[in-house]
Amino acid sequence: MKTDDQPKDNFAARIFGRIKSEHLVPRPRWEFVFKNYFFWTLGALAVAFGALAFSATLFRIENVDWRLSVATHSSFFSFFIDAAPFVWVLTLILFVLIGYVNVRRTEHGYRYSLAVIAIGAILTSITLGSGLYAIGFGSRVDEIIGDHPPFYRPILVTERSWWLAPEKGLLGGQVVEDASDISSFMLRDFSGRVWEIDASDLRAPDLAVIARGGMVRVVGLPIEVAMSSATSSVFHACFVFPWETHGDFRNNPPPPPLATIASTSGENAASSSNPCKNIRPYRQLRSVDDIGF
Amino acid sequence: MPPQMTDEEIVRRTLADKEAFVFLIERYEAKLMRYLERLGVGLREDREDILQNAFIKAYKNLNSFDPTLAFSSWMYRIAHNETMSFFRAKHARPQVVLSEESEILITELQDETADTTLLAETRLSREELTKALEILPQSYRDALTLRFFENHSYAEMSDILQVPVGTVSTLLYRAKRALRAALPKTFSS
Repeated sequence: MKTDDQPKDNFAARIFGRIKSEHLVPRPRWEFVFKNYFFWTLGALAVAFGALAFSATLFRIENVDWRLSVATHSSFFSFFIDAAPFVWVLTLILFVLIGYVNVRRTEHGYRYSLAVIAIGAILTSITLGSGLYAIGFGSRVDEIIGDHPPFYRPILVTERSWWLAPEKGLLGGQVVEDASDISSFMLRDFSGRVWEIDASDLRAPDLAVIARGGMVRVVGLPIEVAMSSATSSVFHACFVFPWETHGDFRNNPPPPPLATIASTSGENAASSSNPCKNIRPYRQLRSVDDIGF
Repeated sequence: MPPQMTDEEIVRRTLADKEAFVFLIERYEAKLMRYLERLGVGLREDREDILQNAFIKAYKNLNSFDPTLAFSSWMYRIAHNETMSFFRAKHARPQVVLSEESEILITELQDETADTTLLAETRLSREELTKALEILPQSYRDALTLRFFENHSYAEMSDILQVPVGTVSTLLYRAKRALRAALPKTFSS
């Protein structure tokens, strides 16, 4: 005797009849295998992009010097907004989520929780991203990919804009020539303009930086740019810091020293009543200068 | 077909000879009919339609069956998904129908309650339990059904509901808590 739970007629035969009449056949196995690999590949690609994003994050973090934020920004908060790698961190999170969605769609993807997949993807991205940064990919990603969205500027471009502001007393560029007594030197800024830098108030650590040559950042007295000539201007330097780019191996090695510095040359400058003491973050910058980079 | 053949062997046979699929249907039709009723598909005709679609889908996707899973879990998953699609398409609310099996769930709820003396004196009718189950979210009801009425393990439930095993535990814990809260005060307190 059949209960209500059992089919009244031959249920199996009805279904089989439908399979035969509609000429149904199982879908080929390769379709499922392909789909499975497809989603695993998308998941892996998402992690790879996450790794690129992390390498750019590292590059950005390594190349902004928060110690100089007192010179370049009015507050640490505004510096943080300008310098923090929000775009890359968001990109990393986005790709981790894309990875999660794709892994979930694989054959056994449902067995892994969001936390497991997210932690796995983030750790993999961090490991691969650190490796990519170590071989110099971080700068490429920040430059090549980061240069395309209109709302984003690569960190090196951003930093150059901070240090191309003589009206705020900030100047960055290449040391091109120095006087034999290092009382002044010439610097070509990022716009190509050559400045004569008055080094009379610099101390030994600053002079050592100039002597090494290469790229430097100069904190000096704000000047009226409009008053200076178009080809060469005088800029009074208070501090000189080296400009080192980390994680970018396309950079040429630092040039040979331009001059030998007497170790006592800065002492007098430090004790003199120089106009640099009036610049706002003098004390903080001096401590950075003393500690060195 | 020899009755001692496993489901997985029948699946392999079906891929070579489609008639073997009939044995899988016969093996699962009654179990799945009961499962669909427990999920809240009230009308027999609807249950048959859903089940027919589920078996057809299983047949068409037979090559996607992973032998490392139990065939029953795979088949329950298809039936479950078909049922959820049915509820969505019909905008229908599941109709909870409990039979003698309600005792299992009541016992389970009692086992986890500290004051057993009080509970022993408590009479919980099938109607009260049905009402409480009806107001639970579908995911909670699914978890309770699979665990206490269909006797599936956590791993099987994970394969059927396609969620991690940890999520199954959480679902069951929350489902029992929600059910206790929905029961008459004398029982839940």
